[in-house]
Amino acid sequence: MFSRPVARTTTPGHAGGRLRKLQWVHKWSSIVCTTFLLIICVTGLPLIFAEEISDLLNPPHYAELPASAPRVNLDRLVAGARHLYPGQIVTSIFVDDDEPQVIISLAPSWADLKADPRSSRFVRFDGRTGTVLEQSKPPAQQRQTFLGLMIRLHVDLFAGLPGELFMGAMALLFVAAIVSGVVLYGSFTRKLSFGTVRAERSRRARWLDLHNLLGVVTLAWALVVGITGAMNELSTPLFALWQQTDVAAMVAPWKGKAPPDQIELSSVQAAFDTTQRALPEMTAISLTFPGGQLGSPHHYLLFTKGRTQLTGRLFSPVLIDARTGRLTAVVRMPWYLRALEISRPLHFGDYGGLPLKIIWALLDLVTIVVLGSGLYLWLGKRRRAPSEIGTQLDADIEVVELLEAAE
Amino acid sequence: MIPRSSSFSRQWSWPFGLAVLTMFGLLSALLGEGGIWWWLSWTALTMPLLVVARYWPLRRLFQRKSRS
Repeated sequence: MFSRPVARTTTPGHAGGRLRKLQWVHKWSSIVCTTFLLIICVTGLPLIFAEEISDLLNPPHYAELPASAPRVNLDRLVAGARHLYPGQIVTSIFVDDDEPQVIISLAPSWADLKADPRSSRFVRFDGRTGTVLEQSKPPAQQRQTFLGLMIRLHVDLFAGLPGELFMGAMALLFVAAIVSGVVLYGSFTRKLSFGTVRAERSRRARWLDLHNLLGVVTLAWALVVGITGAMNELSTPLFALWQQTDVAAMVAPWKGKAPPDQIELSSVQAAFDTTQRALPEMTAISLTFPGGQLGSPHHYLLFTKGRTQLTGRLFSPVLIDARTGRLTAVVRMPWYLRALEISRPLHFGDYGGLPLKIIWALLDLVTIVVLGSGLYLWLGKRRRAPSEIGTQLDADIEVVELLEAAE
Repeated sequence: MIPRSSSFSRQWSWPFGLAVLTMFGLLSALLGEGGIWWWLSWTALTMPLLVVARYWPLRRLFQRKSRS
């Protein structure tokens, strides 16, 4: 299998120089991102099964009711939440379309919430009986949950927006490492049959072959998850951009007017009903009260989603005048937020049942082996004394061998 | 001399084929409405894993250098 001749037309020096540049790109993009990518891959593993783990740790208990049981009026639930947290403002409502629950969030004020997201409180209701299922614990009793810890390590390393952008940059370096790695794969394996792991040679050569093989086999998946991961890390600035352009233009006529007080607000249930009439094909799942970072000081901002596999991932935002309850606009989602919405399932792997999640986890494990073997190959090269290079097969020497043979 | 195209296809047909299968698997579950599309997705995305299982020389990797 080593004897097949390879036709090449490039001039000797040119190909070697290109290869060295690629090796430089592969080496440095990998060195910078590998530690963080290992954190991302390891914390991502339980996150694939976040829903299953959370159901296991906190089994949901719902009253046995027929599927057709009517939903409680949302205004009654809002009043219930206000009663439990007097003096706080209601910030948002989440009406789950998957389980019969309604989660109402509150905060001392919008300014407090912005300054410290942990000042947020919530009440979880059964949407059919109106009974309180769960309440947020007081700050002193709040503990870091396992999944919460995994998410922070995976997304921002507890560093907020700078952390998100940093991890996004690491994802892009990972993509650069994959692309340069594929070209290097082409050089390393030019004279090998696919899947060859040269067991008869040194341990380093075996791991190099395995690194190449596992890397190229999971190439498309790793690229997709890497690119969509970088995209997901941009969600904060992308939503801010949308807020400052499309949303700002939509609510411009209200500029300068006094925002409504909490007691002036129109019915929340009516806002959901108005939205449902305007978009009969969609399901409204959330409502943000006026004054938040996203939306308008004068409007309820509702998010609706479609009912098919794909459109269930695509949201249509709706603005409802919070004083009059009239529909102001169905907001068009710009292309970059659509791209973000498509990036979510392709990154999470949560769109094809449990088998897809298991496949996701296995591919994640393979990626961990690729990262680990890459680290091993690099560290091994550095540790080796110069005199030993001649006696043991080395990655660079291998490339040179191949090139010389080819030219 | 074997023409370049032949060695090129010998080298890249497996990686390319697996990449196409992966993309198909990723999209079929996303765009298709459950049922058969999920099964096709699971099947397509299992292929890279089968290739890994087929070629992974688990026992030999952790042996000391065999050629001395």
